[in-house]
Amino acid sequence: MKPTTRLLLSSAAMALALTGMAPAQEVAREDTVIFDLDRTIRDPENFNWFTSGTKRQHGAHQAMWEPLFILNYETGEMDPWLATAMEPNEDFSEWTLSLREGVEWSDGEAFNADDVVFTVGMVLENEELSEREAATMRAQVATVEKIDDLTVRFTLNSPNPRFHVENFGVRIFGSFLIMPEHVWAGEDPATFAFYPPIGTGPYSYSSADTNRAIWDRNDNWWGAATGFMDLPEPARLIWLETGGEESRAQLMLANQMDIAHSVSIGTFEAIQAQNPNVISWHDGYPFAWPDPCARQLEINTTVAPWDDPAMRRAVGLIIDRTQIVNIAYEGTTVPSSTMFAEYGSMRPFIGAVVAAGHGLPATGDAEAAQALIEAAGYTMGSDGIYERDGEDLAVSIHVNSASTEYTRTIDMVVEQLNRAGINARSVPVENGVFWGEVLPFGAFEMSYSWLSCGSVNEPWTSMSRYTTASVVPVGERSPGFNNTARWDGDAAAAYTAIVDEMGTMALDDPALPGMVAEAYGHLAGELPFIPLVQAAKLIPMNTTYWTGWPTAENNYNHPAFWWNHTHQIIHNLERAE
Amino acid sequence: MADHSTPNAAGAQTPDLTARQIRRMKRFDNPWRNPKLIWGAGLLLGIVAMGILGRIFWDPDLVFTGSGLTRQPPVGLENLRGQVGTWAHPLGTDGAGRDVLALLIIGAPNSLFVGVLASLIGMSIGIFLGFSAGFIRGRVDDVIRVLSDVMITIPPLLILVVFQAAYGDISLTMMAILIACFVWQSPTRLIRAQVLSMRESGYVQMARLSGASTMHIMFREMMPNLVPYLFGSFIANVTTSIVTAVGLEVLGLGPQRIPTLGRTIYEAINSGALIQNLYWWWGIPTILLALMFIGLLLINLGLDEVSNPRLRKL
Repeated sequence: MKPTTRLLLSSAAMALALTGMAPAQEVAREDTVIFDLDRTIRDPENFNWFTSGTKRQHGAHQAMWEPLFILNYETGEMDPWLATAMEPNEDFSEWTLSLREGVEWSDGEAFNADDVVFTVGMVLENEELSEREAATMRAQVATVEKIDDLTVRFTLNSPNPRFHVENFGVRIFGSFLIMPEHVWAGEDPATFAFYPPIGTGPYSYSSADTNRAIWDRNDNWWGAATGFMDLPEPARLIWLETGGEESRAQLMLANQMDIAHSVSIGTFEAIQAQNPNVISWHDGYPFAWPDPCARQLEINTTVAPWDDPAMRRAVGLIIDRTQIVNIAYEGTTVPSSTMFAEYGSMRPFIGAVVAAGHGLPATGDAEAAQALIEAAGYTMGSDGIYERDGEDLAVSIHVNSASTEYTRTIDMVVEQLNRAGINARSVPVENGVFWGEVLPFGAFEMSYSWLSCGSVNEPWTSMSRYTTASVVPVGERSPGFNNTARWDGDAAAAYTAIVDEMGTMALDDPALPGMVAEAYGHLAGELPFIPLVQAAKLIPMNTTYWTGWPTAENNYNHPAFWWNHTHQIIHNLERAE
Repeated sequence: MADHSTPNAAGAQTPDLTARQIRRMKRFDNPWRNPKLIWGAGLLLGIVAMGILGRIFWDPDLVFTGSGLTRQPPVGLENLRGQVGTWAHPLGTDGAGRDVLALLIIGAPNSLFVGVLASLIGMSIGIFLGFSAGFIRGRVDDVIRVLSDVMITIPPLLILVVFQAAYGDISLTMMAILIACFVWQSPTRLIRAQVLSMRESGYVQMARLSGASTMHIMFREMMPNLVPYLFGSFIANVTTSIVTAVGLEVLGLGPQRIPTLGRTIYEAINSGALIQNLYWWWGIPTILLALMFIGLLLINLGLDEVSNPRLRKL
């Protein structure tokens, strides 16, 4: 569905959601928090999060399902949640998880080690459970065993010093969510819909439709009963699909939305001019929060002519990152110099890559690119487009249409490629289709993505996503969205060997930066994906009804409210006086 | 052709007409010198001329993303940030740094082109099928009539949205051909009705008796009498086609990189131009579309008067 259509639908839904259709009891607007949803809920009565679809970010993992830990982006610590601690043995091959006492499912059953062992065991046995967190767990864990009601031991396939943060810490977007054994036992995990869903969180499922989901507070929440935390103040949470930037902005102006997905800086300034209650991460320019998922151009390395590394390098040379920053981001972000998020903790690794000569230039070099294209046998046609054997050098670039940030970045890339002689065109697709059908199955030539995302304070996670272990043929689902470029061959094998070795090393091993640079050399030579710019999320937050949003001053954590850590945001919200 | 001596005679018989009315009546000596027709054609030719002259006097490459600073206002005006417009972009720029003047120069003729091409194809199909059905009758008539009756009940936008969503980026010509698939039914039905009443007239009977072929009778004897009528139908079809094309473009379908007025409006809506008060971005293409439709309407009214003298007013 196109944004304009969505705008119409969502305003209709808005009217319904806020008036007549509110189920059970009426909840006052000042007791309700309305969150933005950037996609259609294809199957609103399916809560099997192990399979693909919109099953978590419509409130399920922000309000109902709680993580074991939450990585605090500001302190770098793991804030304990359903668990209290997770300790490795000496060589990081065994991890012991300690669960919090007194945690209960919303139906009153106790949450304990049985649920953890059951859920992990289920994922280990079922290849169909395809979501990233499930695939990661399957790849890493050999066995899981219950020590006592509150203690679980994981034995890993190979040592992993990051096991806890990678799987249970909400490092990026989600974490491995534990499911209730007493509901799931005996069901087929690949097809079970888990409806109605239950969780341990302070909110219970109330209702959902394709464009909204409603969650009501469970006043018997275990956290309040055990003194872990007070009940959160909002009585009801609504996730509402908005569509384009204009509808987000209008809802913000009308105070009919409390937090919205990223908007362009011009729109944000316009919102703030008309509704001074709307704030963002920073008080002033550039307003935006630096998201850890740097933007990139994913290339399907199995499709000619892009199966030729020289052609991919040519595309890499054409791209002018500074122009993307200026036009698509209006200066609110910076060009990427490597695949990594440019956080302070990543500096030693980025520095090593740049020092080894693999850093990316901030501007393009079309002439060098054209030399590469001509060396591959292309000649410039009269229309300014390269041709070989009578065929134009053309490429389609898929992009999800959910945000102007995405489409405009790709518009800019398309323009740069066309000017250099490649007949590029953008193919905008709906967010759900993009993540559900295009990316995982390799149904693209090139695509906008941020799939090297993962590393926040160490280099391995991002790099491990492009190893040969994840290569599958086009048409099969890439495990956990890893190596969707399907990068294979000698260079990829050499890269994989180094990255695999890195995986077993401690995070502070002095040899690590050197190995990163060496592995990165293979990556830079073959470019299965082209890093573009750092991500910046300009998230408007409305203080008319609720205060306590995360900002650079009140930095209890970051503001990406579609992530599993949103529990922290909800607990920090206070009714505006 | 109709007899045009009546107004002269009428003018002579009613001496209380003002000099202005007499002047206007004399104009009807030549029905094609109809003011509505001239104004309408003028507006459309103006848009075509803008497309041609614009390409000569302005840089058409400015239509592409990143040609200038983003969200610059037209000359003499100010945007929300307090930046003042410059002559580098006389009508300002959009949210992706495209020059609005260049968007109009390239986009407006493109929108017109889709309409004219779709209508031409649709009319050609309509003329052929309409004449065949009306003149040959029998089975041919049954098939064509049922087909066009069925097609006329199908809402074209619905089908086109599905089709384009499935195929993604398509060219302007392809879009025109797709639209043409939905604009042949009305002309077919109307022409069939006209031909049915005409086929029994004396000159057709005469042609038939003198052994003229079916094709000859249909297209050489009958069609010239329908020319003003066909023109009217053609213009109405152009309007329908442009409305359909713009409808698709405003939904974000249709060509991605080729600028059209509808796509410009889509981009504006989608990027929050209303809330940012970037009125030049969506306002100017809207005005141009309005002018285009007014031009088409005037031509249509003018053609009505040409083919139907009773509509002519003093």
